[in-house]
This record gives sequence, structure tokens and C-alpha cells, in this order.
Amino acid sequence: MSFTRQDLEAYLDEALPAEEMAQIEEALRRDSELLATLGELQATRDVEGHSLGSIWRAARLTCLTRDQWGAYLLGTLSPEEEAYAKFHLETIGCRYCQANLTDLTEQQQQSTAETQSRRKRYFQSSAGYLRK
Amino acid sequence: MSANEYDRLLIQRIREGDDAAWDELIGRFEGRLLAFINTRLHNRSAAEDVVQETFVGFLTSLPNFDHSRSLESWLFTIASHKLTDHLRREGRRPTVPLSGGSSVASSQWDLPGTARAASSIHRSQERQGLEYEALAAGMAEIIEHWRKRGDWEKICCLELILVRGWANKDVAARLGLSEQAVANHKFDFLAKLRTSIRKQGLNHDVFPELRS
Repeated sequence: MSFTRQDLEAYLDEALPAEEMAQIEEALRRDSELLATLGELQATRDVEGHSLGSIWRAARLTCLTRDQWGAYLLGTLSPEEEAYAKFHLETIGCRYCQANLTDLTEQQQQSTAETQSRRKRYFQSSAGYLRK
Repeated sequence: MSANEYDRLLIQRIREGDDAAWDELIGRFEGRLLAFINTRLHNRSAAEDVVQETFVGFLTSLPNFDHSRSLESWLFTIASHKLTDHLRREGRRPTVPLSGGSSVASSQWDLPGTARAASSIHRSQERQGLEYEALAAGMAEIIEHWRKRGDWEKICCLELILVRGWANKDVAARLGLSEQAVANHKFDFLAKLRTSIRKQGLNHDVFPELRS
């Protein structure tokens, strides 16, 4: 299986869809050449900066907003916007948008008590780091 | 009030130690962070631990938060780092050395790296920051222009080429276009981006992908 430079960059940024991240990890275990390529890519990025694609992804130039994903779930986006949303989600495989959509979907299914308990735990474990 | 302005004020309150503001931020973002992390770990309990580390990381890195960035993107960036650390500890991810090359570990998963002086790294990071902003602004302008005109085909085309690295022929097949149309969209995008970079007072020749 071959990976594009952009795939490897996204791998370094933990930004590919989970299945593709796992495929690259699996390939790295047995392909020392791929490991070397990844190392070179990392070094090149340190010197030359990031590619247009990784800047596009990091700046989230085409990500939908949370409200737009809400509208997507409600089916109220225009047909063109909905088609683009599917493309961005499925063909581009945007991890950040996938996370937002999963969260919005789960919010409709999870119990409030479960969510509140989780949030309370996060608060209690981190509030000590707030500046007082 | 815009979303960015609201987030700026929320962060200001958190900087002042406001518990309610911190609670609000957790409530707004924990679900999407958990979804982002759990899709890789498939272990809810471990994913919740990484979300917890992300929030602590956010508070400890708050002095470095750049208000020009979106709050959500900043949190996803921290979550990515915490997730990467977790996966390395589990032995699933190779350790990529830091730019200085001084942190090479002994695992067989380690990647080859280059060693450079700290001053040169600092200079290049500063330069890269400026270039990043210029390119992001230039690309955002073109995409917004296309979006307003309903040119979704051009957006999809360039996203496949630049973000996923697809070859022109594969993009053409996926979008039902001729290879010439794909090449034209790419040429148009890069020409507009060069113009934007020049307008921002930078030389487009320093960007390998924009050299004509």
C-alpha cells in the first residue's frame, strides 16, 4: 500500500481518519523504508515549513462550523452544502468534523446524568490549575 | 457578539480564575474531544483520561494561547499531542524526535532526525509562522470567493489535490471532470495564491509548491 506525502504529514499531525492512521502504523511496523521517509518528511517540515495541504487542514479552511453540522443532522443545509459536507467528512475524512458530528449525534442518545458526571470529573481534576 | 469575541472573553475569565467559565468551557468542548480521541483508542475510559490531560494541558498552556486561532482548533491540537503521547506509551506510535534532534529515544520505532542549532530553529519557526499566516489567509480568501459563487467543484478539486495528495487523474475520475479541467482549477488556484502572497509583501518563490 502506498501513502501520499500528504497522508504522511497528516499522520504526523494525528489528523487522518482512525482507520488510515492504523494502516500507516501497521505499515511502519514492517517497512523500514517508510519509517525513513517519515523521518525525512519530519526533518523537511522543520526546515521548509508545512505544505499547503497541511496548512489548509490545520487552519481548517473548509471545516463546517458546529452550527452547520447541527443543520446537517436536521437536514436543513442546502443540497450543495450537504453534498459538500458529505464529501468533506467521507472523502477528505476530516477527523475534527467527524468528532463534532459524532458528539452531536451522541448528545441526542446519552443520558444527561452520564454527561454531567463526566464533566464534573474533568472539572475536579483540572480546576486546581486555574489561576486564583 | 461574534463566536470569536465570546471565546476571547471566556478565556479572559478563565485566566482570571473564574470557575464558572472553566466549567462552561469543559461543557462545550469535552464531547467533541472525547469523540476525537476515542475513535483512535476504542477505549472509553482511556479516552476520558486523555481528555482530562487535554484540559490540564490547556490550562498550563494558557499563557501561550494565540487569540487569532480558534479555541476549538487549539484544544484539538493539544488533544492530538496528548493522544500521540498516549499511543507512544502504548507502543502503537513511533517516537518522532523533536526538531533539535536531542530527544532521540532508543526504541526501534524511533525515526531518523536532524540536529540543528537552537538559534536556527528559532529563526525558522518565526519565519514559518509568518509564512503560515500568509498562506492560510491567501487560501481562505480564494476558498471564500469560490464558496460565495457556489464553485464547490473547484473547492473539492483543490482539497483532494492539496489535502489528500491525489493525482490529477484520480481527482478527475472521482469528481467526473476531465483531467484538463482539474489542471485548470489547480493552475487558477496557485496563480491566485501567488498574487495574494505578493500582496502580503512576501516572495512566493520561498514556497516550494508555488514556484512557477
